[in-house]
Amino acid sequence: MRSYPSEHKEIVSNLLDGKFIIYPSPLFAVLQQEEFADDYKEFFKQSYGYELTIDNEFAYLSSNEVNEKRTRDFVLFLAMLCRELDYSGKNFRDTIELGSFDISETEQLLKQSSKWEILEKTSVAEFEKFIGSWASKNVIKRTGNQFKFTKAIKLFFEFAVNVANAKLKEQQESN
Amino acid sequence: MSNLNISGKDIVGFLFYHYDFVQKAFDISTPDFIIDSDRFHQLIAEHNTSSERKVHLHKISTDLKFCRQLPTGEYKLNGTYTTFLEFVFDDFVLDLPETLKNRYQAVFNHFTSLQTATDETKAILFIREIIKVIEDFLNDIQGQTYRLLRDTESLKVNAENNSDLSIRIQKANYWIDEYIIPLNTILNIDNPNSVINAIIQVQRYASEKRILADTYTLKREFEKLYASSVNAKAELDQTLSKLTRELLPLLERIKSDSIILSGFYHFVENVDNPENYIVPLPDLLRKVRANVISKAFSNEAEFYIDQFNYKTPEILYEETTEEIEWLPDSSYFKEQLLKEKEVSNFYQWCFDSLKEHTENITLSKFFTVSNLILEEDLVAEYKDETRFDIQLSDAILKMPKVKIYEKLSE
Repeated sequence: MRSYPSEHKEIVSNLLDGKFIIYPSPLFAVLQQEEFADDYKEFFKQSYGYELTIDNEFAYLSSNEVNEKRTRDFVLFLAMLCRELDYSGKNFRDTIELGSFDISETEQLLKQSSKWEILEKTSVAEFEKFIGSWASKNVIKRTGNQFKFTKAIKLFFEFAVNVANAKLKEQQESN
Repeated sequence: MSNLNISGKDIVGFLFYHYDFVQKAFDISTPDFIIDSDRFHQLIAEHNTSSERKVHLHKISTDLKFCRQLPTGEYKLNGTYTTFLEFVFDDFVLDLPETLKNRYQAVFNHFTSLQTATDETKAILFIREIIKVIEDFLNDIQGQTYRLLRDTESLKVNAENNSDLSIRIQKANYWIDEYIIPLNTILNIDNPNSVINAIIQVQRYASEKRILADTYTLKREFEKLYASSVNAKAELDQTLSKLTRELLPLLERIKSDSIILSGFYHFVENVDNPENYIVPLPDLLRKVRANVISKAFSNEAEFYIDQFNYKTPEILYEETTEEIEWLPDSSYFKEQLLKEKEVSNFYQWCFDSLKEHTENITLSKFFTVSNLILEEDLVAEYKDETRFDIQLSDAILKMPKVKIYEKLSE
């Protein structure tokens, strides 16, 4: 790396803290530039063995060595929330991507779900703490009693699409 | 007393008085409008027990021509009725776009014939035929679009489980591929064989002819054709925008949303068996206070550190309060010394003078005072080799007997 951008320290410490860097953050603007993108990917790979993914709207580090178990909990939470929103006749994707949620109302909504017995055994059970820890990763933005999902949520929707497609392929092959 | 001949009023009356029966027959028989014989008889029997006005099979089939029995024994509803009933019940059966395509192909054919017709009577017939075909086509396509929109709305309604989700995805895919895209092709203005293009051609031709035609009658007919084609164009534009701007995105949306839900469904179902996720979860990073090391590097370091992994003794440090030692002010003692004019045993004097101020005479205190011996304005004389002891709190000094006095100024 010949020169470091002035945001270098912030970029590295944010990513190492497990935070998503999201458009329109100025940090994201730096990562998006081709001259830096490849350098940073190389930097994290060589220094830490981590994978830097720079998507259209967000960037994050991943590593199969440092596994974040709570990701599973988060996907469970999101799956249940989508399911409940869909049941109540709402367009779950618009609601998740654009809407604002009341923390205690959302907790109640999930607790009424027949699937709460699964969530109950996960870190979602302590709901405020759960929201806080994902807010610190920039996946959720908390304002007072409300929270919103950031653009990073698309990563988890992508995951669901991949699961569905893989399952579909599996079913087609077995037929 | 009923008339021998069936009039329009009888037909309308039948539909009015037996509305529920007609609707049931319609619902049961869609989409091909064929009902199993037993089922039809049962339907009539049910109706006749609950209603004062009775339905007679013979009358509705022979006189009213509501239905006819097929060679297979089934009953088929009359197409004239069903077309009207589709309109009445707002329930249109989806035709394959192929069928629609064939229908509007007729517009092309009649139009070609019209352009070459030499006879005024024939030209008028073709014009009327074109207007009729366009009208039918518009009705069809509006009905179909309406039906698609309504079904799509109902498709949006929630799926309870994964099989419902799969059906949703399948249906959305089917409608997109089999209906919307072909309908789009038929209606697409960029496609030279599209119905829109045929209608535009008709419109241009009619626009010219309504002014330039040979006779007044012909001009009037072309005027009607022109109006019909202008109207058709406007309506088809609307339909097209419904299809492409509402229906297609809606279906795509339903499809992709259902895919997400079904992916989540599989994930939740297999949450206790992560190996069944098929697709691994994103390996997000936990907050790490990391140093610049990779895993391999860290293993090596751990191995190295293990070599020194013994228990170090615990050391407890007693907390000591540090005292700042008081040191005598040498200038004060010099003053005292000078007052004496002459001191025969300097070191003893030092000790005694200090004693007046403190009990605890340490080396450092003693030397602070005894260093006065080095002052330039003092003269030290010592002859005696003998030493005497001076007992300090932290040492015993053997000192010579030194006489000291002030140097006389020259």
